[in-house]
Order: sequence, then C-alpha cells, then structure tokens
Amino acid sequence: MFEPLSKIPDGMRYYFGAEARLRRGVEDAVMAVFDGWSYEEITTPCVDYLALFERGMGYEQAHRSFRFTDTDGRMLALRPDVTSSVARSAATLFADRPRPLRFCYASQVFRQQPLSHALWRREGKQLGCELFGVEGLNAEIEMLCVATEILTGLKLGHDFRVTINSVEIFNGICEYLAFDDSQRELMRQLLDRRDAAELQKFLGGFATTDIERTSFVRLTQLSGKGEILEEARRIITNPRSVAALENLAALWRIIQTLDLTNFCDIDLGDVSGLDYYTGLTCKIYVRGAGAHVGSGGRYDHLTANFGRAEPAVGFVLDLDSLTDVLMHRETAIPPATPNAATPSPARETDPATLFTDARRRRERRERVSIDCVR
Amino acid sequence: MTELTIAVAKGRMQDEALRLLARAGIRLSQAALRSRRLAIEDESGAHRLIFVKPSDVPVYVEHGIADCGIVGRDVLLESGADLLQPLDLRIGYCRIAVASGAGEFPKATGALRVATKYPRITAAHFGARGVPVEIIQLSGSVELAAALGLAHCIVDLVETGRTLSENGLKVVEVITESSARLVVNRASYQLKAAAVSRLMGSLRVETEVEGAA
Repeated sequence: MFEPLSKIPDGMRYYFGAEARLRRGVEDAVMAVFDGWSYEEITTPCVDYLALFERGMGYEQAHRSFRFTDTDGRMLALRPDVTSSVARSAATLFADRPRPLRFCYASQVFRQQPLSHALWRREGKQLGCELFGVEGLNAEIEMLCVATEILTGLKLGHDFRVTINSVEIFNGICEYLAFDDSQRELMRQLLDRRDAAELQKFLGGFATTDIERTSFVRLTQLSGKGEILEEARRIITNPRSVAALENLAALWRIIQTLDLTNFCDIDLGDVSGLDYYTGLTCKIYVRGAGAHVGSGGRYDHLTANFGRAEPAVGFVLDLDSLTDVLMHRETAIPPATPNAATPSPARETDPATLFTDARRRRERRERVSIDCVR
Repeated sequence: MTELTIAVAKGRMQDEALRLLARAGIRLSQAALRSRRLAIEDESGAHRLIFVKPSDVPVYVEHGIADCGIVGRDVLLESGADLLQPLDLRIGYCRIAVASGAGEFPKATGALRVATKYPRITAAHFGARGVPVEIIQLSGSVELAAALGLAHCIVDLVETGRTLSENGLKVVEVITESSARLVVNRASYQLKAAAVSRLMGSLRVETEVEGAA
C-alpha cells in the first residue's frame, strides 16, 4: 500500500509555533482562574473502562469513543470526557473528604465519531472544573463567575455569551404531557432544533388544546434577558416547570446584581445537554466560532451512579475551538513571538566553553539558542 | 455594516426564496441580480446573500460562515447538519417518495435495490422498518435507474409527479414532505440574536400571508 508518510488519521492535527504558544497561554490563563477559585488540579486516566463512560455520559455519547479490549476482554475506551471519571473519584477515592470538593483539569478527550461537521476534531483538549457537594444557587453562581472571569480575561470583550436554562422546565412539560422516553427524545430534538413547524405537528398528536400547543411551540423561541421569564410563566403552569422557572428567576436576579447581564442570556430552547444534567445548563458561545465553545450545568444524579449521591456542577471549555477564534483576534496572551534568544558567542568552537557560557546565561533565565552546526 | 450573511440554495426555489426575502425587506438591486457574483449585499447593506448549491447551504451555516440559510427540508434531512430550523417558509413544497414501475414493492428479493440522491434518508427510512436495502447513489435522473432496471425502485423528490409518470413510474409511498426552511447557525442565534429575530419576524409575517393566500 502506497500512501504518503505525512498522512495522519482524520480529525487529528499538529499544533506548533504561534498556535501552540497560544494554546499554552490560554490553558495557563484558564487554569490560573480555576486556581484562583480554589479548584485543585486533577489528572484522570486517559484509558478507562467503557462502562465508566456509559454510566457517566449515557450509552450514545460513550459509544462515540475509541474502544478496544483489555487483556481480560473488558472493553476500554480512550476517555471521551473527563467529568465521568472525576465524578467517580469524588464518589469513591474522595468519599471521605470534606465538602465542597473542587477539581479542575486540562485534559485531552477523544471521539471516534465527531460530534458534527463543524466539530470535526477527534482529539480535543477540555479545560474544565467541577464542584461537588453544594446545592442551590451558590454553586451555580460560582460557575458563572468563573466562566465570565475566564472569558473576560481572554480579552473577548462583549463577544461572548453564556446562555442558561434549566432542564427541569423541559422535564416538567414532558411529565405533564405524560411522554414516554421516545416521545420525550423526539420533543427534545425538535426543541433543540427550534423546529417550530415540526413541533406543532408533533404536539398535535397529544391531547392538548390549540392554545397550549402554540404556547409550547413558543418555547423554542424564548431566548433573551430576564423579561422572557415573565412570558414563560404565562405559558408554563405545571408545578415542576414553574419551580425550575423560579430558580432561574432567582439566579437571574443575582446575575443582575453582579452586573453580568451583558454576558448572559436565558435560552429556554437549549435542551441539547447530555443525559446527566438535572437542573441548570449553560452553553458558552464566542463570536467567530460556529458552534459553542463550552458547556456545563448541574448534574446531581451522576455521582449516584458511582454509589454516593451528591449535588454537583461543572463546565468545560473546548481549548481547540477557543484558540481557533483567538488566533484571529488581537490578544495579549501570549506573546505572538517568543522572546529573542541571545546569540551564543561568535567564533566559539570549544564545546565546554560554549555550554559553560550557555548554562551561566540560563541561570539568569535568558533564552539561549546554541548554534550547534558550526 | 453587514449584520447577517444568508446562504440561499440555488436552483429549484431560488426565485421563490428571493421574492420572499424581497417582501421581507431584503431586496437586491437589478444590477446585483444580473451580475454573476456569488456574494451580494442587499440594498440596505445590512444583509449579504450568498448563492450556493442546496447541499452546501447546511455546510456554510453549520460552520457559521453564513448566519442563516434558506434550504429545503429534504436537503437538511440528508445532510444531518447540526442547525437550528426555526421557520417553515412554506415555499418549495415537495414530497420525498419511493417510486417504482409497478407502483408497489417487488416481492421476494433478498435485498431491495434502491437508487437515490438521498442515501441517508433512504437508509433511515428502510432501516426503521428493518427492510434490507442495497442503496445505489446517483446524482441525477434517478428515474432512469428504475425504468432501465438498475434498481427495483427509487427514492426521490416528487413535485408534480410528471417526471415520474413520463418515465413510467408510480409513487409507492411518501416518506416525508418537504418545504423550504430558514436555518440558523447555533452561535449566531445567540450572538446576533437581535438581527436574527428581526429577520425571523419579518419572514414569519410574509410566510403567513403566503400561507393564507
């Protein structure tokens, strides 16, 4: 078989030069913010049991991973996400540690099946944080504060948006309409695509009034600031959704107080989350990227899969999408070119002298570049 | 300043789409329409229209190069692109149907041979019923495949049914209906919310007028 040696598998790529420096700079900046909010770095195994990810992400997402078998025949996977593994460690390894537990990571994730045409990469780097053991608004606000601090710090100005929603609003509606799993999934897909026409048709099959149908369809288009909660309250009356709306309203009031309204939007049509979200969900969009560059939310049931139920929130940023955008912007991080190296002494041919001089300059933290070719 | 870039599918429903956009306030000058440029600004300068092959509309919009697009539901189903589809524009109606010479499925075949421009839709349709099929992907004149015996049946767009009947084919079943949709990039929907919502608002009014007429 003849093929060029330069060929690499689909969805993989090299990073070097300015792009590699930018990635390092962004990663360091993000990890510094996590550290500033007391998140402790954790590195999870790159290879783990497929069963872990099935428990963590749900069957469908887990099966996007690269899979292979261990020597004992068990299925392994290259980690397709980090959250599953961190949640397992919180429930097992760190079960006895006092709460709250805060973890952050900068780790590669792999997918054999890319998520979409635009998200074509099969290897990506996730910068993420997880907070375990805190119920209620405080954890959610902390997450929004960390996210907005990071994005503001990356000099994105007003060119980013964090959208928030609660999956409980959708869950309440499905419960009210007595949907089974497949109906729920169909409604989720239609809502996720904001497909008002098809949703109207789909809801026609259920015993709802015309007014109710039209109201639910209206949900697909409710995106904006606090005022949309008012409209949502008129549309949705089932107790489960109403409670979720009240939580969202309380969160929005704090967002206003913290002066974060310019960075945040409520988006009741965002139901694209993984199976594990139980309350708040968020998506992070940056001008210049065609798809979201980050996502997160509350996943209170996840650690129960590993034997210790506790509340949890977290979010991840996709370093690759983020740096794709930042490459085309004026950013302060990091320097576009490395610091100039001081040249090695001209006409010096004795290796011992050459390297004694180099080591002395390295002690002064100068950048050296040995001209070895002479 | 250009607020929104809109990708319009060339061909079948381009004229209808442009008429709809014009009524919604997005007008192209006669000079621009006559030119062969593929990216044109409208008279207000707020919108840039790009003209691409129908199957490329989802590509431009998914990557966010175009914020919005106008394209048939058939193309969207086939592309599997991850897009928002907030509005049925009620133009370019057609059906995606299975057709064969006898107007019914041939009996007792190990695998049904189906010729189509829509391999994804075809695979999903027959897959959902557990019917094994061999899909023969063509890029045009699909009717010939069934008429000349390359395939047992075809899956194709049916507008009036005239092409089918002139080639001796009959509709066996309708898979789904299609009409033009406004599609929107996920990030643009959030980051250019005001402009997208204005566009949706004016198009909605016009489609409702159209629908009522």
